[in-house]
This record gives sequence, structure tokens and C-alpha cells, in this order.
Amino acid sequence: MLKRPSSRRKSKKDQIELNLVPFIDAMVTLIGFMLFTTSFLAIVSIESPFPRTSSADIEQKIQEKPLQLTVSIREKESEIWSPFERIASKVIPHTAEGQPDVSAIHQALFPIKTQFPNETKIVIVPTARTTYDILISLMDGLRNVEPTDPPLFRKNPATGVDEAVKTLFPEVIFGNLLGDT
Amino acid sequence: MAFYRSIRSRRNRRKLPGSFELQLTSMMDVLVIIVVFLLKSYSTSTNSFATVPGLKLPISASQDVPADSLQVIITPESLTFENERILDFVLTAGSIETNDAVYEFKNTDMDEGGRRIVPLYDALMKARDKQELLRAKSPQKDAEGKPLPFEGFLAIQADKSVPYETVRKIMYTAATAGYRVFRFLAMKKEI
Repeated sequence: MLKRPSSRRKSKKDQIELNLVPFIDAMVTLIGFMLFTTSFLAIVSIESPFPRTSSADIEQKIQEKPLQLTVSIREKESEIWSPFERIASKVIPHTAEGQPDVSAIHQALFPIKTQFPNETKIVIVPTARTTYDILISLMDGLRNVEPTDPPLFRKNPATGVDEAVKTLFPEVIFGNLLGDT
Repeated sequence: MAFYRSIRSRRNRRKLPGSFELQLTSMMDVLVIIVVFLLKSYSTSTNSFATVPGLKLPISASQDVPADSLQVIITPESLTFENERILDFVLTAGSIETNDAVYEFKNTDMDEGGRRIVPLYDALMKARDKQELLRAKSPQKDAEGKPLPFEGFLAIQADKSVPYETVRKIMYTAATAGYRVFRFLAMKKEI
């Protein structure tokens, strides 16, 4: 026969109550501090160096004939080309709104990146009326690989293993900072 | 009457709770959720990029968090450098009678054939001199014991509608003042 449970367990005197008040004080202080210091506006940046050139550079370029991939924005179309004719130039008409077709330009860069996987630089030549909004979306299209894009691979010369390429042409340089176009 | 009052008072007395205990557990739940949310969205970056009212930044898919640097803010109407309004643009003659206001630089603010912005150049040179002075006094030196060179980073915040023509003039002016790398700021695209 089981022993009868002690009545002491049921007595209210043994219930321990956690004192939550100091904990709540700490929480409220922490929330206040964080609300005060948190920046809800997340700002990101795209870096672009000012182009440098010298006569020695030009002579070297004429000899080496680098890709120097260039995207020129014009009034009604955009053109992807290479001054040393390393690739066949491609003309992409603007959208119905009269803005550069960023998506088509982005897609057109994939075969070039496959052909020149080690190339990281791209020159952009916008028109004077191109807005900052378009410039940023264009630079995004030239630099980033979207998750929905087809995968790109590049052979690592050190290991000989194919590695996924996470960026297209991350170094964007403005080509007409001195010119009047 | 007195009889009824005494009964009522006795009933009320019975209803009064002996000791009132506030249920804090649910409140704790709410506070913990808020703290977790804030910790998740807490930005650990130390940059302090100010902005101006009415500025509409574009959205970018870039993931690069900008480091602290001097910054220029371009709104459709004015130019601000390091929280100081440098100059105001003027309405173009053609846009006065139309609904679409188009602004441009004052001719008196420009030189070098309309390429360089004089008030901005002066402000940039002043800021550069200040930075070089601070670097000269800093204990941090390069390998040869000379002060660290001027880095020349300039952050550019511009309104969505600002044309490249304006941005180009600012970049050219900054380059002539020794600023060689530009950081175009935008709002982070939520994924």
C-alpha cells in the first residue's frame, strides 16, 4: 500500500515566486537604449575610383589590347563594346519608358564574363540626363550576380578547382568624367 | 436602511482581494520578443551618415557597408557638404513656366569652362587640409615614419532625380581637390 502523500507539498508556503521586477527594469532600459541608438535606415555603398591615365598607360594598352569592357548609354539605346574589339559589340534598345534596359544589359554580360572570367573592370559612359536612380540600378546590374541568374564558374589557378563567381564586374569606372558627352 | 448597508458592506469586504499580484510573465514575453527583434535589426556599423529632409535615395542590391568618410549630399535644389549647405541651384529658364522644375548650377559658382564647382572645391580643400593636419599630428606613421597619406574617399548621397551631369561635375571637382575614390550611397534592398 502506498504511503499517503505528505500534505506539506500542497501547502502554499513552499511556492517560490520569482521576483521579475528588476529583470523588467533591465529590459526596459535595454529597449530604450537600443531604440535610441538603432539606425533603421540601412545604407550601402558602391565604390568607384576616379580614372587615371598617362601616355605610358595608353602605349601599353595599345600593345596589350585589353578587354576594357564599356557600356555606353545613349539617347535611345545602350551599347556594350570593347575599344580594342575584343568582343562583338551589342546594342540594347531602351525600355518603353526611355530608360536603359538594365535587365537586358545584365543578361548580355554573362557570356562576356564566361569568356573573360578574370576581368573585374567595366567602364560606364552615361548621358548627362541619366538620373542617379538609373545610375545605381545600372551599377548594380553590372556588378552583382542575382540568385536567379545562371551559375558562373572560374578555375582557381592555385588549386585548379572551379569556383563559383559571385560578382560580374565589381569595379565600375566612369568613362566620361572629363568629356562633354 | 442601516441593516441593508451593513450587509452590502460585508459582501464588498469579502470581494476585496487580500493581496493583489501583477501577472508579469506575459509582459516579460513581450519585452523579450522586442529585445530579440531589436538585436536582430541592430546595426553594428559605426557610420554616421546624416541626411537631409526630402532626400529620396535610390535602392541598391549592394552589400557593402560604407566606412566613415566625408560626404556630399545632392538634393534637386541644393548641395550640402558635411552638414553645411554649400550652394543652391537655380531654376533653368525653360522650366520656370512648366510643372517640372529643373535646376542647374549658377554660372558664378563654376569655373574651368563649367566643369569645376568653386564653393565645393574650397570646402573640399579646407576639409582635406584639416585631415592632413590631423594625420601629421597623429602618432600613426607609415613604414618610412611619414604621416599616413590622405585617403581621398568621398561619399556621395544624391536624390533619385539628380542627373548625372550634376554628379559628374561634383566628381570632377572632388578629383581636382585630391579625392580619388567615390562612394555612391543608396538604401539597402530588402531581400
